[in-house]
Amino acid sequence: MTDMKEIEKRLREEAKKLLESGRVSVVLAYGKGCDERHPMPFAAMKPEEADEIVFNEYCTPNLARYLTKYPAGTKMAVAVKGCDSRAVVVLLQEGKVNREDIVILGIPAAGMKEQKTGKDVDASLTCGLANPVLYDVLLGQEIKGAAAESPYGIISKLDAMSGDERWEFWKKELARCIRCYACRKACPMCYCDPCFIDQTKPQWGDKTPTFDGNLMYHLTRFYHLAGRCVDCGECTRACPVDIPLNLFHKYMARECEEMFGQKAGMDPSQKPAMVDFKVEDSDTWLE
Amino acid sequence: MTDFEPRILGIACNWCTYTGADLAGTTRLKYPQNVRVVRVMCSSRINPSFIIRAFQLGADGVLVGGCHPGDCHYGTGNLYARRRLAATKKLLEFAGMEPERFRVEWISASEGKKFAEVVEEFTGQIKALGPQTKFRMERIKTAEAAAK
Amino acid sequence: MKKFAIEYLSGVIASLQQKGKVFAPVKEKDGFYFREIADPGDATLDFYNTVMSPKHLFFPQTEDMIKYRINKEGADSAPVPINSGPQILFGVRPPDVRSFELMDLLFEEGGIIDPYWVDKRKNTIVIGYAFDSVDPLDFYNTFDIHAADPRGSDIFLVRKDRTVLARAFTGKGEALLDGLAGLENASAADEKAFEDAVKKGPGLKTRKLDLNGVAKKLEAIFDAPYWQKASMACLNCGVCTFVCPTCSCFDICDETLFRDGRRCRTWDSCMFTNFTLEASGHNPRTRAFQRFRQRINHKFSYYVSKFGVTSCVGCGRCSRYCPVNIDIFSVVEKAKEV
Ligand code: FES
Repeated sequence: MTDMKEIEKRLREEAKKLLESGRVSVVLAYGKGCDERHPMPFAAMKPEEADEIVFNEYCTPNLARYLTKYPAGTKMAVAVKGCDSRAVVVLLQEGKVNREDIVILGIPAAGMKEQKTGKDVDASLTCGLANPVLYDVLLGQEIKGAAAESPYGIISKLDAMSGDERWEFWKKELARCIRCYACRKACPMCYCDPCFIDQTKPQWGDKTPTFDGNLMYHLTRFYHLAGRCVDCGECTRACPVDIPLNLFHKYMARECEEMFGQKAGMDPSQKPAMVDFKVEDSDTWLE
Repeated sequence: MTDFEPRILGIACNWCTYTGADLAGTTRLKYPQNVRVVRVMCSSRINPSFIIRAFQLGADGVLVGGCHPGDCHYGTGNLYARRRLAATKKLLEFAGMEPERFRVEWISASEGKKFAEVVEEFTGQIKALGPQTKFRMERIKTAEAAAK
Repeated sequence: MKKFAIEYLSGVIASLQQKGKVFAPVKEKDGFYFREIADPGDATLDFYNTVMSPKHLFFPQTEDMIKYRINKEGADSAPVPINSGPQILFGVRPPDVRSFELMDLLFEEGGIIDPYWVDKRKNTIVIGYAFDSVDPLDFYNTFDIHAADPRGSDIFLVRKDRTVLARAFTGKGEALLDGLAGLENASAADEKAFEDAVKKGPGLKTRKLDLNGVAKKLEAIFDAPYWQKASMACLNCGVCTFVCPTCSCFDICDETLFRDGRRCRTWDSCMFTNFTLEASGHNPRTRAFQRFRQRINHKFSYYVSKFGVTSCVGCGRCSRYCPVNIDIFSVVEKAKEV
């Protein structure tokens, strides 16, 4: 495993090189926050800013989120960890960014920590990928060995519940939602402008946070991410009221993988599952 | 629950299922009147939020009809729709809704009889399940209680 | 002055329930929230601070104002009566207590009187609760609030190991405390312990910022490129504004369902694009940095020029819950150097 300091050093070097040569105009990485434990996403735009880049075990945010915030055609470099790279792949598949516009700086990440609690990131909640699936430069040694846990293991406790129990479970969780929309804003795949819930013609849902309205919003969002969610867990991490949104996303990802035979964001040459079909797709799914 | 008359949203594609429903009517087939059909041009026009929203607004069941796979008027519309509706079904199930409240059927323009049968069967199924109260808006529930 | 053993908390809550609706911290998942207590056993005092500020007790996230029914001629409508009845807000930390006073300026004393806020405020007894530790993200010392600051509370609680000491600071508080069943009378030693704790409050140090000249400075750097840089990470979600005890923006919307509808006011956030969207389609604040700047300026500059105080209490919530760790303290601190 490569040391975090080493990754930080190489990240700065690469950023400086890319900015100096003019290959990119923005390097998306992490910068200093108010303390060690709170690093912030940071966009270096000048070579001298490269030294402000930091990397430590609390650098969990998925920077792929910021790719779609810049005008199309902006030359960008982005630092990505395992699932972040999958998000970049989905953006490539969906044509939101062009391969030639971006430089992917891969980070083989292990031993990341939770910012809120300072504890190790729970392996059962991650996508289980330590190495980026797509990169131009890998900053450090590839991490060998398979993931210890299946990314879907955690949902078995929900699978085991009856429908009514699951309903009660989600009801309890989603009743807490305050509609701050941090989940969609932190999500690298949620780039719609405007989001369906902000539309007024037609109006899809009320603004007020009632349980059913929250469910309407979240179910639609879960659906919109079906076959696209890369399981980076940003939505859950961003949620101030601790709703385990990633459990639902994981479930949808698993079902889509089973039905459509492809995992989101693994191969840039693939079409995303939901904008694709096979003639031999099964009707039994609908039963 | 003997006097429970479910309210079912039907969404039917213009070219097959809706025409099939027409045929059922013109051949004077009898089937329950619980399904209110909305016509869309193609099953791929259906935004899954229609279905979610219908349940929120108090539908007891949702029935979606389209052309048989391969027969879509637009060639491939229902092949996309199949994936979308399959994901929707999984979604509702995991949320804890009874998956039986949502049904997709491929019904062609000539299958008036099938349309009548499906509606008959689905209505019976929903009747057996009883009213959908889980997702129904609190406001609707209060209004309904007040009306009683 | 009175006291009770922490084990007896549910008993105290139960007797408070005799006097009105009780709102107290309840643990849900990993966080704490002020909730209306049904089962006295749910309330707890073992928390640092709640996720959501207690402002929603006076300014709920959604509040119906008018109910209407559409008919052929137009609509029948009736205002929703304003009458909250007595309520008790239990276990509020000093910066949050101070936030109510800041909001009073806007909702009551600023010339426009908001009956919804005033009614609930008038009917509520606030029971404050001293901090006994410091979170590194807090900065309430900046606003002359200290960890055991009883200002603004009707009753103030101080924790002494397994005992909670309660002293009334207003007539309302006194009446409540005296009439409350099941509390023990405090001894002279307890009185002393209480006073010591309050005196020791300023000893618990949070971050502190010198606000001198900040309001003017922010005005001066309105067009500075600083804002683009400071807001670079901002996702424009509404977490900071929703957890904030002093964010007061709302939207009034009509929610119609078939024929019945309600006109309600709902929290809105200056971080959302739709917040400033005009009916014409024009949006004066389309860029993320403009919205970000608005939030900081509103608190540290506009509020100051309007009411003479900063609309922030340093509770640290926005920094704590920001998904990308934007820290309002650092943002203002750095703005001073621009
Ligand atoms: S036209 Fe019938 S499904 Fe496309």
